[in-house]
Amino acid sequence: MSTTHLGIAVIATASVEIHHETSKSLEEMIFETSKRALNSLGLSADDIDAFVLGGNDQIDGRIISIMPSTGPVGGVNHDTTMIASSSEHALIYGYLRIMAGQSKRVLVASWAKPSESVDPDRAELVSAEPYLLRSVGMNETISAALQASRFLNGKVVNTNEKFVAWPLTRKDLPGRGDSVHVVILAQEGSFEVESQFAWICDAGWATSSYELGARDLANFESLKIACNQITQRNLGSSPENWNAVEIGASSEYAVNAVTEFLQLKVGISVNASGCLSDQFTSPFVLGLSRMMRAIEVTKNAKSSKDRYLAAGIGFNGFAGQGAAVMVFSNTKGVHND
Amino acid sequence: MINVGIIGFGQSRFQTKRTDVTFPELVKEGADLALADAGITIKDVDAVVYPLAPDALIGVGNGERWVIDALGATGKPFMRVNNGGATGMSAVLTAWTHVASGLFDVVLVAGADRVSESGSAQSVLNKMWDVGYERTIPLNTITMLALSAQRYMHLYDSDETDMALVTVKNRKHASLNPYAHLRTPITVEEVLASRTLAWPIKLGDACPASTGAAGVVLVSERYAQRNNLKPAWIRGIGQNSETYWMGARVGAKSQGDHADADALAHAFDIAYKQAGITDPVNQIDVAEIYAPFSSVELHVIEAAHLAEKGKSPEGLRNGKFTLGGSGPVVNPSGGTQCTNPIAVTGTIRVGEAANQVLGRTGAHQVPNARVAIASAIGGDHQFYSTMVLCSDLEEIS
Amino acid sequence: MTTNKNASAKDGSSERFYEQTWDLQYKHALGRTVSRFLDGLAEGKIWGRRTTDGRVLVPARSYDDLTHEETGEWVEVANNGVIEMSTVVYEAFNGLPKPPYALAYVMLEGADTALVGYVKGLDLSVQSVAIEAVKIGSRVHVCFAKTPTGTAADYWFELDATS
Repeated sequence: MSTTHLGIAVIATASVEIHHETSKSLEEMIFETSKRALNSLGLSADDIDAFVLGGNDQIDGRIISIMPSTGPVGGVNHDTTMIASSSEHALIYGYLRIMAGQSKRVLVASWAKPSESVDPDRAELVSAEPYLLRSVGMNETISAALQASRFLNGKVVNTNEKFVAWPLTRKDLPGRGDSVHVVILAQEGSFEVESQFAWICDAGWATSSYELGARDLANFESLKIACNQITQRNLGSSPENWNAVEIGASSEYAVNAVTEFLQLKVGISVNASGCLSDQFTSPFVLGLSRMMRAIEVTKNAKSSKDRYLAAGIGFNGFAGQGAAVMVFSNTKGVHND
Repeated sequence: MINVGIIGFGQSRFQTKRTDVTFPELVKEGADLALADAGITIKDVDAVVYPLAPDALIGVGNGERWVIDALGATGKPFMRVNNGGATGMSAVLTAWTHVASGLFDVVLVAGADRVSESGSAQSVLNKMWDVGYERTIPLNTITMLALSAQRYMHLYDSDETDMALVTVKNRKHASLNPYAHLRTPITVEEVLASRTLAWPIKLGDACPASTGAAGVVLVSERYAQRNNLKPAWIRGIGQNSETYWMGARVGAKSQGDHADADALAHAFDIAYKQAGITDPVNQIDVAEIYAPFSSVELHVIEAAHLAEKGKSPEGLRNGKFTLGGSGPVVNPSGGTQCTNPIAVTGTIRVGEAANQVLGRTGAHQVPNARVAIASAIGGDHQFYSTMVLCSDLEEIS
Repeated sequence: MTTNKNASAKDGSSERFYEQTWDLQYKHALGRTVSRFLDGLAEGKIWGRRTTDGRVLVPARSYDDLTHEETGEWVEVANNGVIEMSTVVYEAFNGLPKPPYALAYVMLEGADTALVGYVKGLDLSVQSVAIEAVKIGSRVHVCFAKTPTGTAADYWFELDATS
């Protein structure tokens, strides 16, 4: 594997997060954000070997969303793939392409524009299988509440806030809004050293049963497996070595529970960039938005002499059915220390 | 670069409806068939890549999450690809990347579709077009390809009989393929007499809405060596995209005419270069190339450089591209025109091509096939995936 | 939510089905450029936008996917042009209009990309006559709705008298 000794870095990022974008179409938002990322490096779409997109058709009201979004990202006349299972998977696939030696520079773009949906919760309802779950009624908020109730362990919730779905109040839940996120990844040697934001150490991802009744929602099965993948390959990048973590979980209860579950370093910075309710986001892109924040935090540690690791964690599917983790560092290298 | 091969291909017998299974059960069928053909179990699989095109056609949003248990993917790395009609093959290319990255030795790609489950496939697909400008016009996959067929006939002085020759060939091939959906041989006269859907596309030119499952298993070279396996080796891959706007595919300033598939030709060029193919007509034995309608196959044959632009009808009239004839055989399985379960139709192209170079196809085998190509098309003729497969890793000369 | 019990399947058990409809509603933000094009229809105008490499895109778009740059100048194109590709639809599809109807992509004078629309005002009952009437190269002009709706339904094409 000739390319494993070459590092893979994030060399540009651009995001827009807004409560409700009425004056621009989704495609215009994607175009502007992609251009911003490219322009920050003085690059054009022709300097990119592959484009990886992540979109959720139901939220945006597009069918086969790769069609209208390829043009805006600069993908025409290029290799374009849509990874539709989660925004984190899109970033991970971009990373795999460079690991495979298949591409040198990859642009990853993901988005959600829930303001396009008259009723975004209803758009989430169609992800419930039609035979039993849909008639009961399920969406991201309700499944987050079910999961949160597992963490309570019989404790009473004292609050004056109104419950959205017990035990969750608005403050416990991610905020909803329109967002687009773009990341440009590159193989070492394919970028100017100054433009490197963060090296990618490793990524792990896994999924679990669709059936909410078949798993213990408090036991982060997928996350455990995802972290084990990283630990087995790169012990030095395992959770106990992280200096910071950004967790895109479906509730603040889950954020706290993940922190305990992973037995992270004492004093580790958790979601320092801000709480879930302060974000303008949507379940599909929440994980990537937190990975972007982990990248930002790593970028700020660039000049530090000490090795600094920040991880981004995202979930997909009801009550964290799937999990994805990406670990970033201010120093390069396959870490097996 | 790590070499990647295909060691298993499974497919169900395709038909209009499957009322005996739920969608997850159908997916399980595809996964089980692929694993059985590969001679492995799900425990041997390191990662899963899942093909699923519009969720609306199966009626469950992010339907990939629903089928995790059926696939046996619990506890494994898993992601889903959606490149429209090219999905089944784009998923295989995504799986290729998984293996080539060095992180995974065995990757499963398996899925299913039940296009006729949704009673309104074309009205679902109507929403592929631009929100502001194109939703009030009833564009759909049939009308978009009707426009392309009309331009091809206009540019190359071709006619509906040329299109019919494709159907005749594909149905003849499908009659030898027990998995195909439409297997009845047909004559040129019958095609020309069939009812018009959107001129010049007639029922006899069009693919069926198929239900069924399919899957393939990809392995790394080291895994193949350790386990004494003889895969169909993937020697080249290519993907390309063109403009979404059909109005930009006509006129003096267009990049490529809607009559042709220039962007697909470019994707083939990338794959051919990787594989060392310099003379397609003489080096390729089999082409399993996605073409849902007869007219599409005409320009896909040309995009694959198996004929000059506008010349594939002449080749067909001379018995080329047909089992028993000389030169590359196109769609010996009957192709997408005879079997089209949208999400996995691209996977079937890969599986059929792999079986051809391994000599395992059965009655529709091309004798002594060593080099095969596969391709798929997605969106409004916008996304292209191509692949070159060979029974060995030696130079293709 | 209804369940249908069908006649028994071959093995003697009955097959059940569950009918569902996705009733999702959307309110798509069109952006300023698309909005201006649609407003132009109420004024009997077709607007295009010029790309950095000089092409006039019709309908107007705020950026071009080939150059991957924003477009600039607004250009009003002529209300007549030539059919570049067309079809006549005879098959009914669930959820789409009742056939027959004709669609065409028309290159209006001054434009570098073709605009899609219905071709109305012609007799489609005899297929061979219909497809000849809308063949590539036929000259058409744009017609505008008297009561605009602010959507792309506010324009369509009709054949020039002399074609």
